Amino acid sequence: MTVNAAEAAPRDAASGTSKWSRAWQNHAPGYLFLLPWLIGFLGLTVGPIISSFYLSFTDFDLLTPPDWVGLANYERMFTNDRSFAASMRVTFTFVLFSVPLKLAFALAVAILLNRGMKGLPLYRALFYLPSLLGASVAIAILWRQIFAGDGLVNQFLSIFGIQGPSWISNPNYSLWTLIVLSVWQFGSPMIIFLAGLRQIPQDMYEAASLDGAGKWRQFWKITLPLLTPVVFFNAIIQTINSFQSFTPAFIISNGTGAPINSTLFYALYLYNEAFSFFRMGYASALAWFLLFLIACFTAFSFLTSKYWVHYDD
Amino acid sequence: MTIRLGRRQFLMGTSALLAAGAAGINPAWAQSALRLIFWGGQARADRTYAVTDMYEAAGNPPIEGEFLSWNDYWPKLATQTAGGTAPDIIQMDYRFIVEYASRNAIAPLDEFMGSELNLGEFDQDQLEGGKVDGKLYGISLGANSVAMLVNATAFEEIGEAVPDNSWTYADIERLGEAFKAAGNGMAAMSDGSGSEPMLDNWLRQRGKALYTAEGQLGFTAEDAIEWFTMWNGFRDKGYIVSAEDQALDNGAPEASMVAMKKAALMPSNSNQLVIHQTVNDDTLTITSYPRIEAGVGGGHYRKPSMFFSVGGSSADKAAAAAFINYFVTDLEAGKALGVERGIPCNAAVREAITPTLDEQSQIALNFVANLGDLLGPLPPSPPNAAGEIDTSLLRVLSQEVAFGGRSAEDAGQYFVDEATAILNRAAS
Repeated sequence: MTVNAAEAAPRDAASGTSKWSRAWQNHAPGYLFLLPWLIGFLGLTVGPIISSFYLSFTDFDLLTPPDWVGLANYERMFTNDRSFAASMRVTFTFVLFSVPLKLAFALAVAILLNRGMKGLPLYRALFYLPSLLGASVAIAILWRQIFAGDGLVNQFLSIFGIQGPSWISNPNYSLWTLIVLSVWQFGSPMIIFLAGLRQIPQDMYEAASLDGAGKWRQFWKITLPLLTPVVFFNAIIQTINSFQSFTPAFIISNGTGAPINSTLFYALYLYNEAFSFFRMGYASALAWFLLFLIACFTAFSFLTSKYWVHYDD
Repeated sequence: MTIRLGRRQFLMGTSALLAAGAAGINPAWAQSALRLIFWGGQARADRTYAVTDMYEAAGNPPIEGEFLSWNDYWPKLATQTAGGTAPDIIQMDYRFIVEYASRNAIAPLDEFMGSELNLGEFDQDQLEGGKVDGKLYGISLGANSVAMLVNATAFEEIGEAVPDNSWTYADIERLGEAFKAAGNGMAAMSDGSGSEPMLDNWLRQRGKALYTAEGQLGFTAEDAIEWFTMWNGFRDKGYIVSAEDQALDNGAPEASMVAMKKAALMPSNSNQLVIHQTVNDDTLTITSYPRIEAGVGGGHYRKPSMFFSVGGSSADKAAAAAFINYFVTDLEAGKALGVERGIPCNAAVREAITPTLDEQSQIALNFVANLGDLLGPLPPSPPNAAGEIDTSLLRVLSQEVAFGGRSAEDAGQYFVDEATAILNRAAS
């Protein structure tokens, strides 16, 4: 028996390796074709992510080797950094208002476009256009012109005798111009909503109207519940994007977060710490905290989703 | 970011370098070609490359140039320095030279004096400006001074004379009333309360300074309070632009208060007259910053606008020094460069180029050459945290005061407390 067992073991092992090697032979060409992407992913994405985690525990100015400081960077963030607090305030305000407004706007336009009008593809493309242009430098500059003291908005208001402030350079309003800019780029959630609306069976509406339900009631009782998976998806994507928002504030304030830090987005503050003041260690810590924040928000959304997201099954 | 190499050249070059590196050999040409990096725009690049082409045509080693915007330049240079691949010739700023020198990221040049570097006709104060701890680390590429940008056309329209170098802060009130009376929506001046050079100039006239040689603050909360209070007075009376207007200025020339016709005067630099004129249809000129009182001078200084330094890891420092020498002393090179980087520091070059300059450049050259009693000593180069104190403290506080969110007393005290804390944190 013992002899048999001893004999059997190597044979098992041998057959195991041959199974592995056969599998490897089958998959090797696949991995070979994957290689260019894999090298890029490991070298340019995973590598820097790991090193930024290490750097977040160091003091690093690029010129001298990193200096291990333990949790000091994280400690400073919460105890001794006025700009961090300001950037959190700005970013949370932005996320809190821009995401729901943008989703509501996108849904409204999607419903409007879903009524089977003529030339739908054209309208769809037109409404999507701002999203293609939105993150660009040109639009950020255009925004400056529209919301400046003598810009388009105030010229319009002056028709009604209202003397508007300089929206873009007044700390009370500057963040709101960026929220409006973000809402204006409602294109990609709108397209997704539109696809979701197409999935809702028409016979449900017919049955509801036979029972005497009006349009408004149909929206609340049929459209919205059946659309919740799409709302859920859009909300998560837009929240993540909003937390990372950078370009508009960077261009409009030329990277300063002015006036009075009122547009100092978290990502902008992080960028300044890294590339204006060369505190790479601290900037890495900020980046990891942002990752943590986004992860928390996403996890929270998933945990609550079973109470309000209705999957059609 | 613009790289002068073509993509194909770059690919071929890098793959050849990779191959050479893998084989552990250094090709002979890699030692003779020198790499040059600088910040600036296309106009500066065109002038610079004209000189490198001339240099190569004269039988010298080729220079591979690369230029970036100011914002992209410093991260790139720091990254390359960290990776040990810094270029041979590095354009350096007064603000960073101490940091780079103290970390041996740039090399001392004293050993090349008299041989590769032939700087007999070089201005002594500009040579001193490139020294760190007594050793020469940078060769000044031109001298600048702070200057008040003036919309000369606007002054002509309201019948006032353009202020000359004797004007004072009291004149801001006089001119402020004149521009208000004209009622064309233009204030006499932009809001200078958040301008670091203007605060520095004002402090120097009071016998103080922004920073001491030891890297500490050179003024007190009382000074800062008086500063903010003075500008509050100007703003309340409408002599300067409103807080909302000033906040539109994000540093781009076309967003300046003069370009937007909000103000007739604004703090700037002598070398920037040329660029500001390109985005203004009115005729511009420059004059000095105002004096705190008639006859008080010493606020201005001739600042080395930028340096060329030699990379600490350069394989051929002597060849790099020889190119820098050509760049600052050759007459033809000087004509190609003009005053784009500031007024040349070599007397012979200055003389040779004067007749070739356009009107704005002549104004700038004459202004820097004739500062007279306005001229004070060159201040020590600022501490590392100076940039942070400027952008995240002075500018933010000046806006908070201007919008009424903070009193001048509060802001002055806060400025000094917080700046001291930032300096201490950076030093530890």
